[in-house]
Amino acid sequence: MMKLLTSLLVGLTILSAPVYAQSGPLRLEIDEGIIEPMPFAVPSFVPDGPSAAQYAQDISRVIVSDLTGTGLFREISSDAFISRVSSFDAPVQFADWKAINAQALVTGAVNVSGKRLTVRFRVWDVFSGQELGNGLQFAGTTDGWRRMAHKVADQVYTRITGEGAYFDSRVAFVSESGPKDQRRKRLAIMDYDGANVQYLTDSAAIVLAPRFSPTGDRLLYTSYETGQPRIYLLDVGRVKRQELPTQEGTMSFSPRFSPDGRSIVYSLTQGGNTDLWKMDLASGQSVRLTNTPAIETAPSYSPDGSRIVFESDRSGTPQLYIMPATGGEATRISFGQGRYGTPVWSPRGDLIAFTKQNKGRFHIGVMRTDGSEERLLTASFLDEGPTWSPNGRVIMFTRETQGASGRSTLYSVDISGRNLRPVRTPDGGSDPSWGPLQN
Amino acid sequence: METGTKISAIAHVGLIGWALFGGTFRSEPLPMAVQDVTVISAEQFAAMTAQREAPEVPTDPVELQQPAQPDEIETPEPMPEEPPEPEPVAQPEPEPEPEVEPETVDISPEPELIEQPPTLEEPEPEMAALPSPPGPEAEPSPADKIAPEQIAPPPPEAKPDDVETPPVSLDEGAETQQEQQDQTAPEEAAPEIVTEAEEVDDPAPRTSPRPRVRPNRPAPTPEPEVAETPETAPTEPAQNEQAINDALAEALGGGTEPSGPPLTSGEKDAMRVAVSRCWNVGSLSTDALETVVVVGFSLSRDGKVVDGSLRMVGSSGGSDASAKQAYDTARRAILRCGSKGYDLPADKYDQWQDIEITFNPERMRIK
Amino acid sequence: MKLLSKVAAIGALTLIAACSNNDPSALGGGAGGGGALVPGSPSDPRSPAYFQQTVGDRVLFAVDQSTLSPQAQTILQGQADWLLANPDFVANIEGHADEQGTREYNLALGARRANAAREYLISRGVAGNRLTTVSYGKERPIEICSTEECYSKNRRAVTVLTGSTLG
Repeated sequence: MMKLLTSLLVGLTILSAPVYAQSGPLRLEIDEGIIEPMPFAVPSFVPDGPSAAQYAQDISRVIVSDLTGTGLFREISSDAFISRVSSFDAPVQFADWKAINAQALVTGAVNVSGKRLTVRFRVWDVFSGQELGNGLQFAGTTDGWRRMAHKVADQVYTRITGEGAYFDSRVAFVSESGPKDQRRKRLAIMDYDGANVQYLTDSAAIVLAPRFSPTGDRLLYTSYETGQPRIYLLDVGRVKRQELPTQEGTMSFSPRFSPDGRSIVYSLTQGGNTDLWKMDLASGQSVRLTNTPAIETAPSYSPDGSRIVFESDRSGTPQLYIMPATGGEATRISFGQGRYGTPVWSPRGDLIAFTKQNKGRFHIGVMRTDGSEERLLTASFLDEGPTWSPNGRVIMFTRETQGASGRSTLYSVDISGRNLRPVRTPDGGSDPSWGPLQN
Repeated sequence: METGTKISAIAHVGLIGWALFGGTFRSEPLPMAVQDVTVISAEQFAAMTAQREAPEVPTDPVELQQPAQPDEIETPEPMPEEPPEPEPVAQPEPEPEPEVEPETVDISPEPELIEQPPTLEEPEPEMAALPSPPGPEAEPSPADKIAPEQIAPPPPEAKPDDVETPPVSLDEGAETQQEQQDQTAPEEAAPEIVTEAEEVDDPAPRTSPRPRVRPNRPAPTPEPEVAETPETAPTEPAQNEQAINDALAEALGGGTEPSGPPLTSGEKDAMRVAVSRCWNVGSLSTDALETVVVVGFSLSRDGKVVDGSLRMVGSSGGSDASAKQAYDTARRAILRCGSKGYDLPADKYDQWQDIEITFNPERMRIK
Repeated sequence: MKLLSKVAAIGALTLIAACSNNDPSALGGGAGGGGALVPGSPSDPRSPAYFQQTVGDRVLFAVDQSTLSPQAQTILQGQADWLLANPDFVANIEGHADEQGTREYNLALGARRANAAREYLISRGVAGNRLTTVSYGKERPIEICSTEECYSKNRRAVTVLTGSTLG
């Protein structure tokens, strides 16, 4: 009976759906998976001689540190390894890596010849037994071993996630020491992971809020050198700096580069009122962008340079606004409860990170550029001053603890709100500015 | 593989790279007066500008050739040992940049510049300990793993694994020749991403920030009687097609083997859940999370993926690059969770011999 | 520092009487100095120390505000009188904010507060070219606890005598 019915059905269907005349595969749809750090293994890179041994070990360690630091990967300890990798060109024993659930494998070799250091590596997808991308070699000097490790880690990260790289980058920040009422502040730069800290100023004058130029060769910052906060431009490579010609007898601060690096937007205070101005760096000429009795500060360009998001209290409390880069009418984009400040446009252009103050707590959050889909990523006594990683995936910011012994520390967090962690610096740190990927 | 050619290629690219980028010295033609910063002396400045030419930034990457085939591996001969150079103790910075030694000017008493870069071994993730959940509808708490269903913290001795394995001790398992196994348990997981901002100190009920639809659970028991009847569940057109296909194949007498009855929705769900447990989108870029991929593959009778059968059938919503990453991730899921063979009804092999799975990450996006 | 603020507050309260009373020695006694008048000491009404401690060198502000309370206006009136009586001095007015705000916004807020004090002094006859302003935002708190008690003292504009115009 059933068969008959079915045959009838088929008889009817066959005319309207001849495409099913052949037996197709079983079709399923999966729309729910898991989110967890991917287990990976980096057997220590193979040194080609005794002089390369330490570099091989250190480079492997930095690669592991970079990858686990993203929160997207989990290192499988070498204690669990079944296979030993003793030659870079030997075939990978995938079964041994599958057995310990290493889903990605990075193999490499290090060669040192005099001051010259070369690093070769391959990335493997263990369960398919396939190589992700092709083997690659970086060459440089032994001095640059850390950067070479970051470059390898960047490749691994990009090949597995598809996200842009960011490990081979630097961060400018303010190094802080001493109690809150006598804080000593010095301008400093470091690798993104807190290594290789270099100080660019002494602590004689208060320095605030450095900002990297789009190419990472210059820094803008604010210093009290003359007694008044004024903005300075510093050539990072030559450690030369100049005061920018803003008007005399006024306070200038909060400077940011335009995406082409040719001009800056900044705050200028006259008669107690703070507005935004734009300066052409070649000519030193400034033009006014806002003209209200309210405070306008903390500007940030969109990556295409066409718009500026900034903070203004023209509504009574600090909120976020967007205006054309040439000035003109501004549109408010923040409408949640509380006060909003320090907006920073993401390098991808899709999000704006900000500081939010609500009910006695501070948050770092992100929203779309029209103010929608606000998400708060952190909460503490005092979080402020977000800066984006070059790939727009990670945010670094300042966290200050409360009380007389309060201390400033740099923190980073993934834009999913996961993987919140401190960035280790020798002293306290504040006002980070993440520079571009180095080349 | 001609080693000579390889070396030559590397050397050439390196040399050209150095010539192009190694010696450039960027100067800013800004018209304003420039003065030295007080923190460095003139000698230091002269020293570091001179040094600028020397250190080499990593040159252009050189692609490596595929590794040699297993049979023709040559073990590289041990290089004649070079005169051991004194290893640099302090790590100089990689960039050709001036070292600004703060000690030269700053008289602050505390130690300033670290000789060794800070170690980064243990940046403890700041995921807070789980506040004890007040009940089954507990507040999701931060966990390293996000899974459709909340999983309680594992027993302390268990290693995380996707498959729960009971602990087996040597003496007990001696007769069955079972290998000693570590006890495993599913890793602790939260049903959604919980940020610090969403954590609450008190377990008082509040509105959930992001309610999620629960995945379809596998039906508790597959109903055998459905076998005869082609399923006509209105919400499952694919199943309908499948049923029709089967019926069609049967009616036309096509196929030498008698086609088994179609999979029940329970059996399909079980397969779907089996793969989704390994579909880890946590390491996907935000772009790849916008990309839907369809992956086709074949299974052998023991439920294992046939070598080389995996392929991307199609993709939508992203670039080629993001489709590649999305495919890699989907492939990993299918292979990893199927490494011991998928548990599918053997009598319906024809129904699941070829499978196409659409991986849609829409609900897993960062929101 | 706490003691200092208290002394300043007491000075502010006694100021109302002081304005109409031109006898400096009486005031010196009122401030509890006692003894002989030492030039430059807080008991010398022409000294910066007197200005700081007896007249009151600072005014406080409510959260996010830069408007002057009646109490602040009283103190500033005393400052104006002192500056008019001592035309050799110039002053730099420092604006400050508590730590409950972002760095750059607080810098601008401190500037607003300093300017509010400056404008008031000008309105009371002090020449504008004797008064400069600077803002420290939240960079130089005077109290470092993280409670309103400290915050209220940090939201301030401080008139700092930067020296005599005669040199």
